[in-house]
Amino acid sequence: MLEAAVISGVVKELEKVVGSEFVSTNQGDLYIYSQDMTQAEPSWPDLVVLPKTVEEVQATLRLANKEKVPVIPYIAGGNIGGLTIPLKGGMVLDLKRMNRIIEVNETDMYAIIEPGVSFGHMKAYLERHHPGLMYTYAFSPPSTSVMGNALLLGLDNLSFRYGSASHWTSGMEVVLPTGELVRIGSCAVSEGWQDRDPLPDLAGLFLGWQGATGVVTKIAVSVWPKPKHTAAINCLTMDMDSAYQLLRTISRTRVPDDIIGLSYTWARATQSATETNVKISSYPARATSPGEPEFVITAEISGNTENELKAKVEVIEEVVKEELEGIKVLGPQTSPSTTAQYPMQVLGLLSSGGGLTWVGTYGPMSKWLETVKKGCEIQDRHGFTRSCYTRVMREGHFVALRWLLPFNKEDPDEIRRIRELCTEQLDMVIDMGFIPYKTPVWAIRKLEERADPNWVELHRRVKGMLDPNNIMNPGRWGAPQE
Amino acid sequence: MSLEEVKEWLYGCTRCGTCKEVLNISVPSCPAGERFKLESYFPSGKLFIGRAVLEGALTLADDDTLERIYACTGCRSCEQQCGVYHHEHIFESVQAIRTEAVTQGFLNPAYMVMVDGLRRDDNVFGKPKAERGAWAEGLELKDATREKVDVLYHAGCMLSFERELWEVPRSVVAVLKAAGVAVGVMGREESCCGGRAYEIGYLGEFTKYAQHSMETFNALGVNRVVTSCSDGYSTFKALYPKVEGKMNFEVLHMVEYLDQLIKEGRIKFGKQLSKKVTYHDPCHLGRHVSPGVYEPPRDILKSIPGVELVEMERIRENSWCCGAGGGVKEACPELALWTAGERISEAIATGADTLVTACPWCERNFKDAVEESGAKLDILDIAELAAQAV
Repeated sequence: MLEAAVISGVVKELEKVVGSEFVSTNQGDLYIYSQDMTQAEPSWPDLVVLPKTVEEVQATLRLANKEKVPVIPYIAGGNIGGLTIPLKGGMVLDLKRMNRIIEVNETDMYAIIEPGVSFGHMKAYLERHHPGLMYTYAFSPPSTSVMGNALLLGLDNLSFRYGSASHWTSGMEVVLPTGELVRIGSCAVSEGWQDRDPLPDLAGLFLGWQGATGVVTKIAVSVWPKPKHTAAINCLTMDMDSAYQLLRTISRTRVPDDIIGLSYTWARATQSATETNVKISSYPARATSPGEPEFVITAEISGNTENELKAKVEVIEEVVKEELEGIKVLGPQTSPSTTAQYPMQVLGLLSSGGGLTWVGTYGPMSKWLETVKKGCEIQDRHGFTRSCYTRVMREGHFVALRWLLPFNKEDPDEIRRIRELCTEQLDMVIDMGFIPYKTPVWAIRKLEERADPNWVELHRRVKGMLDPNNIMNPGRWGAPQE
Repeated sequence: MSLEEVKEWLYGCTRCGTCKEVLNISVPSCPAGERFKLESYFPSGKLFIGRAVLEGALTLADDDTLERIYACTGCRSCEQQCGVYHHEHIFESVQAIRTEAVTQGFLNPAYMVMVDGLRRDDNVFGKPKAERGAWAEGLELKDATREKVDVLYHAGCMLSFERELWEVPRSVVAVLKAAGVAVGVMGREESCCGGRAYEIGYLGEFTKYAQHSMETFNALGVNRVVTSCSDGYSTFKALYPKVEGKMNFEVLHMVEYLDQLIKEGRIKFGKQLSKKVTYHDPCHLGRHVSPGVYEPPRDILKSIPGVELVEMERIRENSWCCGAGGGVKEACPELALWTAGERISEAIATGADTLVTACPWCERNFKDAVEESGAKLDILDIAELAAQAV
């Protein structure tokens, strides 16, 4: 925490920048911004500031540098990683007032947006003004930030095709920690924001860094033609081995737009919570019935015509029937797709008492089966319902894997159990070669311990070069050795 | 309810943000949050403040923190959008924090004016009780305190004392008379419904008024209580059943009664108007009651010759608040006017020349906002429009 005199001086200066009503030292605000829905320990900021323009962001960072005040960029705070909790006090830079959709280029298929544009906002805007185009969505409420998801390399419903959300980021405008404004991608050398290629890719200085290297004030993201016809193909597998074979085989058809898998017991529970608005919990573990499936696998497909859609369904059905003879599966069964709407069943996950966390990872398909089995076995030992969630990324080149852990923040014992479970799962996944995405600070430190030391050193050099006073979300990636 | 009693709801919130916008169209739903943008002003932020007070991490001995709690109109749009198990208890939780503030002795001066007015003159404005029935002078209405009436018209505090809005109850009477309804009123003996006291955390006052009103209406042998005030309507319909006591009478909002009379053929609109109107769904007529009253006002408007109805984007259960409710008009007048201004802009964007509503608190706040901004938009109660066409 900063000294009162420093805070007072900074507040006065910030009020000149953004106006007094957009600077707060109110204890209620500080309490709110000190924590998120995860099990991360709260840590209070000293103040909150809400800029609206790029110039205000620049002025804020120059002031922060002068006074050596940490700055934590924040948009919706919906990440599962404690990433916007100020580890060393300072100011939370809440960017929600910067919420314009600046341009949608129909021909080159990109949208330039500000940080505060949510998935819901993007969807509604495109439906109204560009009905032939769509953006993707994450498995999160519609209020979460498109930019936040992209900068944190999140996973969306087109990740099967293209990988994490950073892969369809085609340009950026960034305020560096020292206040300069730079553009990244084709927009740096031309009018268009169509791609980062073929320039040296400086986007890597800001993607995945959790706000530790600058504040992105504009981002260009790809948009796609909206498919006319969609369907979902669902399979229920009776064991993990069958699930693995199914995931691999369907992936290699390269037909779907999205492939996700979820522990069956958990899928049932969250669907019911969404429909009935009841409180649910993953602890203690729900009993499974004999003969109950282990996993639900859903492949989302689309087509320009009904015939194309039908043909794609036939490919999947044929492949499942012929190449996976002998595996224990029910289906495939085709149903209307949920891609037209948000996966509002996510709200079932938020229905357990204010807490949600997971050890979310990206890793190799080759280690999926063993890792999933170990992760579920750890859940069994800790008494939690099996809640494995997986998504095939970039056509099977890697996978996303996590165990969804909603919990009751009112119950200190449950919080303790969650922490113990997560600690054990984290150690296991790292041992198996899976890497936590939206990496929480405790996972960063574990990765740094076993990483190539030159890689760690390179992070520190990049961070030190861009942020010489270490003001940007300090303590996370690239943190100086203490 | 106390803070301890709503603890489960306070801890139910993950701050997912779903409460901040209308689902599927992604436009703002929370007036205080949209105006001030800080997390503490949004519904989720208020739940967290409640949690912090319970944990001892925050004190209510802080005007700045209390301001966040007062800056809630109780529109319950957050409850409409929230998809989690505590979604029906968000405003209840805000009220619990308000009650806690009162219990701890942190009194809002603006609220005190209302409470003192209630205690002294049975109305939230502190106006002399003797003037309560003045709006009905010359109308020769039955005195329900002296003779039995089938239909009792409850004007409510705003329509009783806000002279500029007297055309509303007078229009109601004119239309009911045209329908052959022998309506009665209580005049100076009418009391506040107690709804505002409930919303600002004065549960004792509310309970007192609830019990008094139920006993009075029962004793008078009234079959039907009709009101133009949506706050009063929701208080009678949704809050009174929570209080010990019987209600031997039916409660209708004026739009429900008017719609019924039109469909029964007892009201004929003989005049052709020429108006393009848009309709504002009052929160207390929609989200505060179940089921919400959305169709009757629209049916009325569609039946008036020469009236073209165009709809705003945020309507029915997703209606944007007028800004007057929950004590905000008194405690946070700037927020109340800003909120109304947003609605005025939305109404103008439809191309309508008139904004029609069914609540005097909405009407008052919209008129104030129009006066402040100079916007070109007429504001009318639906009864005023109907009376013009009879």
